[in-house]
Amino acid sequence: MGQVLTAKSLVIKVLLCLAALTVIMGLCTLVGTQKVSLKRVLAGPGSSPGENIDYEILICIRLPRVLLAALVGAALACSGVVLQAILRNPLADPYILGISSGAGLGVMTAAISGISWSFLGGSPIGFFAFAGAMVTVWLVWYIGHLTGKSQVTSLLLAGVVVNAFFSAIIMFLTSIAKSEQVVSTIFWLMGNITGKNLSVLFVSAGCILTGIIVLFTISHRLNVLALGQAEAKGLGVDVARTRIIAFAFAALITAISVSLSGLIGFVGLIIPHGVRLAFGPDHRQLLPLSAIIGAAFLIIADTIARIIVAPAQLPVGVITAIAGGPFFLILLARYSRKVSWLK
Amino acid sequence: MKAIIEVKNLSFSYTSQSAVLGTPYGGRLPAQPILKHITFKVIQSRFLAIAGPNGVGKTTLINLLCGQLRAQAGSIIIDTAHIESYSVGRLAQKVAVVRQEFVPIFDFTVAEVVSMGRTPYLGTFGFEGKTDRAVVNEALEATDTAQFALRPLGSLSGGERQRVFIARAIAQNTAILLLDEPTSFLDLKHQVGIYDLLKEMQLEKGKTIVAITHDVNMAAQYADEILLLGADNSYYIGKTKDTFKPEQIEKVFGVRVFTCNIKQESFFLPLGKFAKASTHIKSKLNSKQEK
Repeated sequence: MGQVLTAKSLVIKVLLCLAALTVIMGLCTLVGTQKVSLKRVLAGPGSSPGENIDYEILICIRLPRVLLAALVGAALACSGVVLQAILRNPLADPYILGISSGAGLGVMTAAISGISWSFLGGSPIGFFAFAGAMVTVWLVWYIGHLTGKSQVTSLLLAGVVVNAFFSAIIMFLTSIAKSEQVVSTIFWLMGNITGKNLSVLFVSAGCILTGIIVLFTISHRLNVLALGQAEAKGLGVDVARTRIIAFAFAALITAISVSLSGLIGFVGLIIPHGVRLAFGPDHRQLLPLSAIIGAAFLIIADTIARIIVAPAQLPVGVITAIAGGPFFLILLARYSRKVSWLK
Repeated sequence: MKAIIEVKNLSFSYTSQSAVLGTPYGGRLPAQPILKHITFKVIQSRFLAIAGPNGVGKTTLINLLCGQLRAQAGSIIIDTAHIESYSVGRLAQKVAVVRQEFVPIFDFTVAEVVSMGRTPYLGTFGFEGKTDRAVVNEALEATDTAQFALRPLGSLSGGERQRVFIARAIAQNTAILLLDEPTSFLDLKHQVGIYDLLKEMQLEKGKTIVAITHDVNMAAQYADEILLLGADNSYYIGKTKDTFKPEQIEKVFGVRVFTCNIKQESFFLPLGKFAKASTHIKSKLNSKQEK
């Protein structure tokens, strides 16, 4: 029976997609405002810094940035897949549970209070974004469970309300703060991939990959959850446990991405849908392929952001939003049509 | 003969806290008794039909039997063990449920939906093995759904979809099959098709079938036993012929019925005030009631 996913066919698809991703990574590393000679890069680093500029541009500046884009793209796409499944809402995205406004508030607080210490060699912005995101997710989860045990609707509503409330506070703080204090925050809110300290990159990569693997192990349960809670329980799935694991790890990888690169919209929404349209809704396949394709998508978007208005750079969030907005509307039209047809 | 389901003195009422897992009853007023002191047994490989007016707790009973809801009093024994002693996964290997029609949010294909029936048997990474795929194929064949295995569930008609859900329950490979109105929304041919399929599962695979139905005639023709739930928390259980008597049906459903006997079999036709046939049998029924 060829129609049902087998482990073997999945491995083949994942390997093919990984190969394509590697090619895209290589090409995007080579593209840039500064022409780089591959021959000189392969000669290796010079004996003193600045001796082999080509090597430094490619390996020390562009490659980490491409890797970062890959990491964030994968995390956002996976988080989108998981949240759409457990909220049973095809229009859910990684930020739906208040992560964006929580992280934004964290960053705003850091900017206004003028904190300037560094964390893991990085700026405090990342740390505050992460802390704000995690606290907000917990808050939304808590409020959602006050109103109704294991009801996804109340969770969604709690997310929307907390998001709106925190956004209002962000606007309030923006209007009372001095402009130079909030410039970095606004830039951050637009979503930005910039060079990161290597240790930050490695720690984040470890956490995000672990998160994606954990989510993969529950992916067959996500399939059943998409049928509804009662159905899932009837098929032997521990709904509450699956949901907690899914929420916790989706929130974790999203919070890490947000702390690395600010708010990059639409990746977590359009990639899962695109992959679902192309490969079907089976989460065992949807999750790994969304990770890889999300990574490729953000690498390409970031490459465009780097070169399109060179020598200046666009925030990558602008590119993803410009590409994603129309896509989202098409999706919305498609789904509303489907719903009316079903009724 | 072994009883595979034993319900003893079961009582249940909805409170605001009993909104368990997506059942739509969360908003009901507190402590409204639905089922009261119900005791019955289902023998292995028998077909039990549950009938009764709306709101008497038929679906509630199914939800109790599959562990979706927890009873406040009384006990349910599934295959010699107390229902609460089962883990969610183990219970799903004993009891499969087919609910009233629903459509998943994503476009799963028929084969994918039926494969989900194997969920209770999957390992850590959740991939079906050879046996699983064989069982799924068999379920597709048995329900005659193999022909549209690759089509999205949403593109099927109501009758075809219902067969897919039954296929999924068969793939779950359980001794007990619970069905909540499996033939509502279906035309005559598909209603008969579903009941034939269920009967086949009972006779050939030895499955125990518990199905809610509003169609007393279909239940009379296919079920071995009937559980008739009344609105006043009364209930009758027994062989089909003993339970489905005209007086009993009129009392429980609160509607006049015309009974037609073909040899040993009785058929019941509910008749309302304006039904054309009502004028012809009025006198007969009235005189009966006067006696």
